[in-house]
Amino acid sequence: MRVINAIIAIATGVLILGGYFFPQLAGVQTLLLNWAIILAGVATLVGIFNLISVHTDKIRRGEKGSTYSALLVIGLAATLIFGMLLRPQHDAMQIVLNGIIVPTEAALMGVLTVSLLYAAIRLLRRRADMMSIIFLVTAAILFLGSATLPFGDIPLIGTLIRPWVSQILALGGARGILIGVALGTMTTGLRVLFGMDRPYGGQ
Amino acid sequence: MIFSPDLITGVISFLFTILIFSYLIGDNPLFRIAVYIFVGVSAGYVAAIAFWQVIVPRLVYPLAFGSIYEKAFAAIPLLGGVFIFMKISPRLAGMARLTMAFLVGAGAAVILAGAVIGTLIPQVEATINFFDLNAAAARNISVVEAAGNGSIILAGTVFSLIYFHFGARPKADGSMHRFGLIELAAWVGRIFIGITLGAIFAGVYAAALTALIERIASLINFFNLFGNF
Repeated sequence: MRVINAIIAIATGVLILGGYFFPQLAGVQTLLLNWAIILAGVATLVGIFNLISVHTDKIRRGEKGSTYSALLVIGLAATLIFGMLLRPQHDAMQIVLNGIIVPTEAALMGVLTVSLLYAAIRLLRRRADMMSIIFLVTAAILFLGSATLPFGDIPLIGTLIRPWVSQILALGGARGILIGVALGTMTTGLRVLFGMDRPYGGQ
Repeated sequence: MIFSPDLITGVISFLFTILIFSYLIGDNPLFRIAVYIFVGVSAGYVAAIAFWQVIVPRLVYPLAFGSIYEKAFAAIPLLGGVFIFMKISPRLAGMARLTMAFLVGAGAAVILAGAVIGTLIPQVEATINFFDLNAAAARNISVVEAAGNGSIILAGTVFSLIYFHFGARPKADGSMHRFGLIELAAWVGRIFIGITLGAIFAGVYAAALTALIERIASLINFFNLFGNF
């Protein structure tokens, strides 16, 4: 069974990857990607059922915080049932989206303003080394340089230093990080395609 | 008073914004209530989207109304989906491995191609393009400026990459140290990474600040709305 799993993973990966380079395999690639999208959708549903199961267990055992779990399950079940019956485009579902999901995300992002400021102050108090100073000075320059002020850009910072820091210095580092991430991703993908890593439980 | 969808949305939105902002005075039950409901509702919404926008058009529709070939091709992911659902039961979870192997293989191929075609090649090309002096001249940028900026970006890219090189040889006293030249390049790379992370921090902070201003504006609008009633 382990060998079959590995063969399925490798064959699927090679065929999909081949589709990017050989036009003859484009049809097979599209078919396999379509199957993968369907299965990812089913996996999402399974993940959500698992979330329900974990929280219903917490409620049944009367663990600490089970009241919050009950709210989560009620919210999930109500949205899921209405979403399945009415479809996500229905007015009731749009109220859920624009009344709960979007404002909560935006408010959490807003709270991040205070958390980030607090984290920056803590960083300077706890570890005032060269890296922390470079990090915070860069952030301050970019922030001051892009601020909209009544008299326009701050001379030198807004017109010269900020564009140079963000478009030259920061770009160099960002490119290094991005290439590093891409190389790491490539290695991980190749290890799976060569059967060296089997996260699906092959070994 | 007529309860229009906009009014209901506004009231719920106001309530959840206040509950989330209560976190500013510390972690409290009101904040947790909002967050748990948010997680539940978001999960339910994602499930509905996955069902109506993925499973129905790509699986249910071909199985119900498709040609014989479409039905045959849709039967395979249907079987795979049944296997994935077996993950819910600990006794049958092993059956899901076949489908998980398929998903892992497909995911590995997609991320591999994405990393090469979407990141590696474009980033390397963009770094090279900074040395295209003809293009720089066309944009009225002097040769010295173009070459200087290109060199700084190239140096930043190379030194940042070197920073993530952790290969080291043990010394006679048992301590591990990188080769001297690598250590020096990594030190310069750290400065570039510090500047980059500072720039990212500024960007995230600006986005968070925008979201905060938008929420405060929505609260003010809500108060004004009720002031008019």
